[in-house]
Order: sequence, then structure tokens, then C-alpha cells
Amino acid sequence: MKRGLIITINLLIMGFILILIIGYANTKATESNKNEIIAFEKMTVTTNQIIANYLEDEQHLCDTWAEYINHSAQEGATMTLDEAIAYIRKAKTTPEIQAHLILADTPNREGISTNSKVSDPDVYNVSYKNIKIFDTINDEADSTGAVNITRAYTNPLNGVQSIGFFNYVTVLDDEGGQHNGLLMRVVPISSLEQKLVFLKGEYENVEISIIDRDGNYVVHGKSFKNSNFFEYYKSYNTATADEYQSVTKEIATGTGSMAIRNFKGEDCILSYTPLETMSTWVLLAYIPAKDLVANRQIDWLLLGIASLGFLALLIFNSSVMMNYNHRLSEAAQQANQANEAKSYFLSTMSHDIRTPMNAILGLNEMVLRESGDDSIRMYSESIRSAGNTLLGIINDILDFSKIEAGKMELINVDYSFASLLNDLVNMVQKKAEDKGLAFTPDIDKNIPSTLNGDEIRIKQVIINILSNAVKYTNQGSVTLSIHADRLQDKPDTVRLRVSVADTGIGIKPEDLGRLFVAFERIEEKKNRNIEGTGLGMAITQRFLDMMGSRLEVESEYGKGSVFSFELEQKVVSWDPIGDFEEAFRNSLRERKNYREKFTAPDARVLVVDDTAVNLTVFVNLLKRTGLQIDTAQSGDEGIALFTKKHYDVIFLDHMMPDKDGIETLKEMKTMTDTSNILTPVICLTANAISGMREMYTNAGFDDYLTKPIDVEKLESMLLQYLPKDKVTMSADGDGEGDALGGPGESGSSVSDGAVDAAADGEDELALPEFLFHIKALDLNAGLNYCGDAEDYVETLRMYLDSAEKKAKEIEKYWAEGDLKNITIKIHALKSSSRSIGALELGELAARLEKAGNDGDTQTLGKELAKLLSEYRQLAGALEPLDRRHEPDADNDNL
Amino acid sequence: MRKTVRTLLTLGLTSMLLLQGCGSGKSADVPFTPKYDKDTEFSLTVAGDYSNFESLEAEFERFYEYYPNASLQYVSLDDYGNVISSALVGSEPPDIFTTKSSMIGNEKYDDMFAACEVLSDESVGIDYSCIRSSLIRTTDSGDVVMLPVFTTSYGMLVNMDIFEKEGLKVPTNFKELMTVCEKLKAAGYESPVMGTDRFSGSGLFNNFVYPMYAYNVIKNNDKIDALNNFEPGSGELMRPALERLDEFVKSDCIDVAKCQAEISDEYDQVIMRFFEGDVPMMLAAGDVVSGTAKRESKSDAFTANPFKYRFFTAPAGDKGGYFINSISICFSVNKNSKNLDMANEFMRFLISKKELNNMAGLKRLITPTDDFSSDELYSAIADIPDDRSFSDKETGLLDPAVRQFRAAIYAVGNGTMTVDEAVAAYGSIPEE
Repeated sequence: MKRGLIITINLLIMGFILILIIGYANTKATESNKNEIIAFEKMTVTTNQIIANYLEDEQHLCDTWAEYINHSAQEGATMTLDEAIAYIRKAKTTPEIQAHLILADTPNREGISTNSKVSDPDVYNVSYKNIKIFDTINDEADSTGAVNITRAYTNPLNGVQSIGFFNYVTVLDDEGGQHNGLLMRVVPISSLEQKLVFLKGEYENVEISIIDRDGNYVVHGKSFKNSNFFEYYKSYNTATADEYQSVTKEIATGTGSMAIRNFKGEDCILSYTPLETMSTWVLLAYIPAKDLVANRQIDWLLLGIASLGFLALLIFNSSVMMNYNHRLSEAAQQANQANEAKSYFLSTMSHDIRTPMNAILGLNEMVLRESGDDSIRMYSESIRSAGNTLLGIINDILDFSKIEAGKMELINVDYSFASLLNDLVNMVQKKAEDKGLAFTPDIDKNIPSTLNGDEIRIKQVIINILSNAVKYTNQGSVTLSIHADRLQDKPDTVRLRVSVADTGIGIKPEDLGRLFVAFERIEEKKNRNIEGTGLGMAITQRFLDMMGSRLEVESEYGKGSVFSFELEQKVVSWDPIGDFEEAFRNSLRERKNYREKFTAPDARVLVVDDTAVNLTVFVNLLKRTGLQIDTAQSGDEGIALFTKKHYDVIFLDHMMPDKDGIETLKEMKTMTDTSNILTPVICLTANAISGMREMYTNAGFDDYLTKPIDVEKLESMLLQYLPKDKVTMSADGDGEGDALGGPGESGSSVSDGAVDAAADGEDELALPEFLFHIKALDLNAGLNYCGDAEDYVETLRMYLDSAEKKAKEIEKYWAEGDLKNITIKIHALKSSSRSIGALELGELAARLEKAGNDGDTQTLGKELAKLLSEYRQLAGALEPLDRRHEPDADNDNL
Repeated sequence: MRKTVRTLLTLGLTSMLLLQGCGSGKSADVPFTPKYDKDTEFSLTVAGDYSNFESLEAEFERFYEYYPNASLQYVSLDDYGNVISSALVGSEPPDIFTTKSSMIGNEKYDDMFAACEVLSDESVGIDYSCIRSSLIRTTDSGDVVMLPVFTTSYGMLVNMDIFEKEGLKVPTNFKELMTVCEKLKAAGYESPVMGTDRFSGSGLFNNFVYPMYAYNVIKNNDKIDALNNFEPGSGELMRPALERLDEFVKSDCIDVAKCQAEISDEYDQVIMRFFEGDVPMMLAAGDVVSGTAKRESKSDAFTANPFKYRFFTAPAGDKGGYFINSISICFSVNKNSKNLDMANEFMRFLISKKELNNMAGLKRLITPTDDFSSDELYSAIADIPDDRSFSDKETGLLDPAVRQFRAAIYAVGNGTMTVDEAVAAYGSIPEE
């Protein structure tokens, strides 16, 4: 995933979380605001109650006064104004509260007060002529009559804003006339406001106002401008006429709260409720919204902090991730480099080990075939055994590397189960015998004869298990049991139950877990003499995994083990294989020494390889078949022969200078004027690493054969591709179709020494004396590679013949800067030099080949001259072998 | 105390000659600089007789920009004229209170004036030079204890859209008025000029000819004492104004009966009738004009068909109208205020061309400064020549003499007296 995408996803997640936080905070804030407003409304109701109580108390005091005065009148002792006021002066205790007794029916609404005019202490008269509170006094009084109160007005005697609680009394004027008087208890508004001090603290900026139904202020909160609240509302709040009507009606009659704008355009909360004791008046509690509702600014602050936190986390994580990624990248790079190195190593190992192994095993095969000396044959057999073991190890490593690289694929084919069993038994039986172990096959007679599956990997799995059983069993037996079960739900499939039981050393329970770990060997010290890489079981398990199975192990330490697995295979033919055990017993009796499987003197084969030694081995391996074999040392040479002659099979080496095997094949395929259009072409390659089959098949080859060449495989391949009419099967070479369904021998089955060496009854050729003086040559190594003195001398001669030409080609490519071809040429020089025992020169060539592969022109520049010099010196030393110095020399079929 | 007031009146006539006017420049336009710590916490109460005083409250807000912890409140006192003196010595005295020029000379306000801070004291630091000098009142010792914040005048509201529609110019003298009225009458306007037929200063007759009469009095200041003392024959000085009024009411300009029928008070109805949109000229005082803004939205007719209107002097004179400038209200500071320093500080803030113009603009009254251009409504006043611009205090008429003149024009205008009868009856003409 790209870094930008990761950051984007992180940012999206952050944004999502922040939106959630905002949503949550807003929800909470909204809830909190609602709660605050509800609490504010409750406060308003509480205030209403306090005011109501206060008004009732004040009214009660006024009523008490009135009651006393009226009681006197009822008793016939009606008080005069002065008497009534005198009484009240005595009754009232609070100096700021006054009583005014007004003769309401007089024109000037005059009367007297308990207190004098502050600006004139001698004046107790009071006039309400210009204070219009009596016109609406009945409207303003409580409808229940419990409280009779005026609007707030200015006390004419002291200029203080006050409200008047009133009641009616009967009094006499100065002249003795009886009048209805209005007794007013005049209370400063500030006294009422003092009752609301409790609001401070909790609602610091709350303002309490009281309005009448028309919106006129009775108590005027200082933030409210205008003389009428509804005018104020209209001035500073946008509302339609209907909305305005609705608001005024709601405030005048209902209880609740609403948001309004004040004169500054600020949001405010207005809570309203009618006064309990004066329903014609409405209590208003006003407070700026910012004092009441949750401060969203704090939310944004928290949000900002959270955002910064997220960003810091993102940056920190990104930095850490970048650091880890950097390290991982380096590690991956190192791993890739290591993998490349491994691949290179495997490739090199494959090629570099298999190439000499080709010579070793091929020539050893010659020895086995041609030597009549039993001791030599015994040595040779040991060489073959060791060689095969080495090839097995290499193959295991290659398989494991393929599996690790995920390039191992199962190739399902139809196969003969009897043939598979035959190969298995042939491979194991000899080893078991050698250790004095009884090998007992226990094979179900009803196993279908032809199945579909990856025969090679199944065989490999069972061989691995059997080989291990033999390896780790010192006495007793190894039993291979295979049984088949039909599957009800899969009519075309059979389940094979395979088990290998031995009486070997067994495995400790604690070691069972290590059994399938690559390169792990159980009880390594104890088993140090037993060959193995520790890969066998790991590979076996991996193959079984790929085939949908699993290896089960039951073991008793010191007594033996049973390895088993089940495998489903599709059935091609349900014909039973019959009694394999009987066939096996017969095969043991009928085992023969090696004989060529066939002869084909009329068939012609072309083999192209730039290494003369490989050509020699190839020709010798097929010597007894009588095949006509043409050889060519380059692609162009091979093409020339391709155009001139008809071949039944063509073998093309892959790695060749100038024109490699694939390029040569392509050119051949483009030719139409040839009799070889349908001739199968088989690739010869020492590269046995993963993916080779696909590559060669895709390149147009019909098949491929790995080096060192297994004569069995080579002969089998020729039998497959040669025209049948040109092949004559050997009299005792059972080929195909016997009871065991496969070749009668395996590589390990040639052991009785009954080799017919008569056909090669030539005398051994002594090496020329001068060769023993050439220090650059290891004659033993050369003989080992080439087989015998004759072949060795011939190989040396070929080496000499081509030396100068190849040296010049190398110089030419160097001069042209053609790194690819110069590397190929050096590769060939390495191979050919090693083949003749010029080991030091081969090593030098190997270093320069690696330099060429690495593009290391500096090393090439430094050491190429040395290589060519030594090459030419060696060629010069071999000059006596020049055919031009031998008048009787002739060209053999090489 | 009484002596103080009398002296104040007397010296008021001459003080304008001693004081410098706003026109002389100086520091009137200097931005206000707070004298005290801006964090000072204080409360001030301003008392007055306006039921609401939004333009002052707007100034409170502007003042808060300098003193954010201040708290100013306007309190409307009932029966202000009788209560203010008590309020100043009561338990909750105002720090600042409104005063009027009509209070001058009235003994009952002696105590009130005695409680006033001397605003001309240098230590107070109030620069009132931006106020037209003719509006400044002083005590006999030359102290200034009241400073005007609004002024008013007599004249008429003119529906500019009608004049534009009819292709007419607003008349500037009596002859033009007659011509215009004739054309308007012809155009279907039954009473091209209207007003409230009331005895008060807001009455249509007073608005039409009082400025003309006052001008005549100023030009004959040797007869002021005779007028104030109702000396026989002194009423002759009213004759030119009464004759012009008689000529006016008998012309096609005005249908007095229609005015009586359709305008039943001297404030709301005057405005609301004007907003009907069919009255080219509505005689009205500045105090009435100040109520127009709020009532625009209350008039369905005006809301449906709004029009432009402006205030002009009434074109009663042959050469043009007369701009008589009267103080509407003044502000005084209670020298016994618990927050005297801050009360003076507010006054120092308020008494500037900028703030006074701003407040007058909001109130729709005439600014006391010399800059009429700040309010388009009154901008026409600036066109009146200095010769015909004067202050009411320059007349020297006492309130009884003024009331006799109002009685005379009320009688002549309504046809209950002839001009000769009114002139002869000066001093004894029945008042409302």
C-alpha cells in the first residue's frame, strides 16, 4: 500500500473520529443546554414563587392597616386622614416604606403620607395628579383580589421607583366629610430586587423584569431598552407580524423560555411566567445565552487538542513506520540479495556440480560397463552410489528451494501404479538388502492400475519415507503397505493409504515436532554417520500438503516408527494391479545386469554442445545402441548439419556462446527447406532449478534432459522419440510392458558385475610422456573427467585445436565490449579446462565468468590477459598433440 | 436660590455674546480619551421624563467601549417636573438628569439647579464648544450647569414625493407657499397644509407664525419688557404675525376644519395622518418629528407606500421662513452623585459633535451642534440665512407672554377673534 494512501486512510479515520467527537460533543452540549434552560426556567418559577410570597406579604400588611382603619369606621369612629396616617406611622417599622392615603375621588388625587417630602420636610401632602397609575389600577390588581398592586411608578415624595399595594378605606376629610380613601403601601422596587439577590452567584448576569400584558415594564431590567418589552423585542429581533403576535401572546399568557437577541445582537435566553399573585403581570428572567449554555468554544478547544493529538500520533506512527519500513526494506533488499545469491548459488551448484557429475557418472557408467576387473567395478559401483547420493542431495536442495520460492507445481499425468511401485521397490530393496533388512511390500491387489496424479512427487514422497526407514533401521524390517479404498461420494477417485513401518531407532516424543523442520536432524550426534540434509521429511510434508494430505507419524523410541498418509487419486482405469508381491518376487529373480535397451543403427541423432567433453560422454553413453551420432560445438555448426542431414532426434545444449540453444532452436524452426521440421528437439541443460521446464517448453523444445545425463533417462527418452521402425529392442532389455510396468533396471540395480565389456575390448592407451610435465594439468582429474586415456587424449587434442580460435574470440568480444558473449566464452573455457584437468585455469575462468555475470569489467580488465596468457601457454604445451604432427591421425565421429 | 435662577435667565441673554461657538473649531472633533482606568467599575443612573430614551441607551453602549465595566441606566420618572427635586435628595438620586430651558426662572427648580454640577469648571474638563453658543445657558456667575443635547424648532414636515410627483419646489416664502398651495389644491389635495389645531406649542398656528413673531420681538427688543409685563399697546407687536396667520387660514392652503376632524392629538395623530401620504405639508414641531421613525412601521399606509420626507421652516415670511431654535432637553450632573467623577466623565464623552449628532440623529431631533448636515431630515435648516436663525432665549419673552401669543393665534386661527381684537386683548386673551 502506498504511503499516500495510508496517510489518506489515517486522515479519513481521524476525520471520522473527529466528526464523531463533534457530533457527540454537540449532542451532549445540546442536552446540557436543554438542561440548563430547564433549570433556568425552574429558577424563574422559583423566583415567581418568591415574588408572589413577597407581594402577598406586603399586601397582607396593607390589608391589615386597611382592616384596622375600616374596623374603626364600622365601629362608628371613622378616622380622619391624619388619624389614619398617624396610626400607620406607628404600625409601620421600615423607614423606606411609606403609606399614602389618597382621596381617590378628588380631582388632584391628593392625600397625605406617613413620610414628608424629602425636598421639603414640612410637606406631608402628596398628589398623584400627574402620576397616571389609577386609571388602570383595577386592571393591574390581582383578579382574585388577594393582591392589589400598582405598576412601578415614581414616588412623588422621594423620587424613588416604587410599587404601591393598596386597599380601600373609609376616612373623614378635614371638614368631616366621609370619603373612600385609597390606602397605599408604597414599597421601593429596590426592596423587591433585594429579594432576588439569591440569583447572584448562580446566574450572575440574570435580570428580572416584570411587565404587564401589554409589555409595559413594571420592573425594568437594565438591559432592556425601550419602555415596552414587546417594542424592545420587535426592535432587535427579526419576526414576521404573525411571529410577533405569537411571541407576545405566548409571553403574556404562558410559561416557558425562548431565545431572543438583545440590542447587541447577542443570543439570550428569556424565561417567562405569569406572576402567581398577579396574573396580569409577567415575570421575565433574562440572561445572555453564553452564561447559560455550554461554551462551545471549549469544545472546539478540546477538538483542536484532539486533532493535534491525532496529527502528532499520525506523524509519530508514520515516522516509526517509515523507520520500520526502511529497515524492512533494507532487510528485504538483503533478503532479495541473499535470495539472488542463493539462486545464483543453486544455479551455479546445479550447473557446476552437475556438469562434472555428468562426467563422473557417465564415465563411471562406462567403467561399469566395460571393465572386467571386479575390484575396479566395485570401486566404480561405489563411485556411482556416492554420485547418486550427491545428486539426491542436490535434488533435495533444489526441490526445497523451489517449494520455498512457491514455484513447485504438481504436474498430474496418467500413470501406471505398478510402474510406480516397481521404481519404488527397486530403489529401496537394494538398500535394504545391503543393510540386511527385510523389505516387505504389502500391496493391495485391488489398487486401480492407472491413476492420475503427480507420479514423480508421489514416488519422491514414498522414496523419502522408505529411504529414511532404511537409513534409521539397523535390524529388522521395513514394510511398505499400500491399500486403496473407494470413496462413496467421489466415484472416480480412490483413496490410497500408504504406510511405512520400520523396526528402527524410533523418535522421542519431544523430537517429533522437529521432524518436519527443514535442515533439522534429530539426534544429530547419534546419527552423524547417516547421510542427509534434514530436508527429506520437510519436502515430503510440503508435497503432501500440496496434494491435500498430511504425514502422520507414530513412533516408539527404540522400537520403530510408522509413517503414513492418505492420498486421493483420480482413477483412470479401475483394472486392479493384481498380485504385486508375486511380481516383485519374480523381478528379483529375473534381475539382469545392464544392457542397452535397444539398438537403432539406422537412426541418426544430432547433439550440439560447446563443450567437447560433454559430446564425448554423450556419444560414449550411446555407443552400444549403434545410433549414428553427429556432434556440433556451436549453434551455427549445428544449424549447418541441420540443413544438410535428416535427424530423428536433436539434442541442443542451452548455454552456448554466440548463439545459445534457444536462439539456435528458433533459427531451426524458421527453416522450411529441411527434412527436420518434425524432428523432436530436446534441450540439454545443467540448469535444473525451478522453472526450467516451463522455460524450455515455452521456448519450443519438445523435452529437456538434465546433465549429468542419466543413461536410463536418455535411453527412455530416445525410445520415446525415435521412430519405432528404426528401433530394435534388446533381447533381454524388457523396455516397457512387463509385469512390473517399467524398465527392469534402475541406476542402482546394476550391481552384479556381469557387464559385457567385450565390445570395448580395446587396449588402454598410455598417456604421452610430455603430458606428465605440464604443471597446469592435473592428469588424474582429466582422466576422471574423460574416462580413459584415449578419450582424454582426444579431448586434449580438441581443446588444443580450438584454443587459439577461442582465445581470439574472447579478445574480439572484449575489444567490442560484448560482455554477454565474453562471459559465455569464458564459461565454456572454464568447463573445458576443468574437463581436461586444467583446474587452476578453470578456477581463474570461473572467477572471470562471475565477474562477467556481475558486470565487473574492472576485474575482467585486470585478469583477462592473464587468463588468455595461461590459456595459450597450456595450448602451446599441448602442441605435440596437434593432428598436423600425426600423419596417420583421422577424424573420428566426434 | 431664586436669585440664582433669575440671574441665570438674565445672563442667559448676554452669555452668547461671551462664549465661543462650535464654529470656531478647537477640540470638538478630538477623539474621546478616557481619563480613568478602563477597568473602573461604576454605575450611573440618568433620570428623565422620556418614557424611553433609546438614543441615550445607544450612547451608553458606545461609552462601554471605553469603560466596559460601567453600567448605565436610564430611569423615566413619573411627574418629572414635580419629582426631580425630591429625587435628587432621595434615597436613590440620579447621577445625571434632564433639564429644560422652561425650568429656568421657575422657583420650584431652585433646589434642582442648586444640585447641579458646574460643567464649565475646568477641573471637570468638558469641552462644550461644539454646541451652538446661542444654546448655552449660564448662571449669574457664568457657570454652565446644563448642556443641551437636543434642540427643537417649529416648522413643517414635507412629503417630498408629492412635490416631486407634482413637479413643485418646496416653498421658501409666503408667496411661493400660496402659489404651491394653489397648484396642489388644483391637483386634488384638499388641504395642502395640515396640522393639529391645539393650543400648545405643537399647534399648527404656533408652528406657522411663532418663529415670525419671535423674530419680530428680537428686532424690537426694546419692547420685550412691555410684552412680558402685558403693558397696554404692547400687543401691537403681534399684529404682523396675526395678520399673516389670518391670511394663511383664509387661503386655500389649509382647511382648519379638516385638521380638527382628522387630527385629534398633537403627536401620534399628527404623524400618522402625515404618513397617510396625501398631506404635502404637515405643520409640526421638532419634538413631533422625532417620533416619526418609530411610527413608520406602525403606519400601514406608509409601509405600503413609503415616501421621503424632510423638515422645513414654515414659509410665513415674505423673504422666507424663520429658524427658531429651542432647547428640547439638557443634561445636568448631580453634584452630590456618589459617582460624580464618572458622571462628569460620561458627560465629557457625550458632549462632542460626534456623539451629540449621533444621538440627535437617532432621536430625530435637531442637533445642538452647528453641523446640520449629519441628519438629512433637518438638512434644510442649514439653508436658512443667519439673519433669520436665532435661539428662543434671544426673544427674552417669559412664559406668560408666550402663552398670551399662543392664545391670540389660537383665537384668530379658529376665527373666534379678529386680529384687532386679539391685539387689543393682549394680556387677557383666554387661554386653554
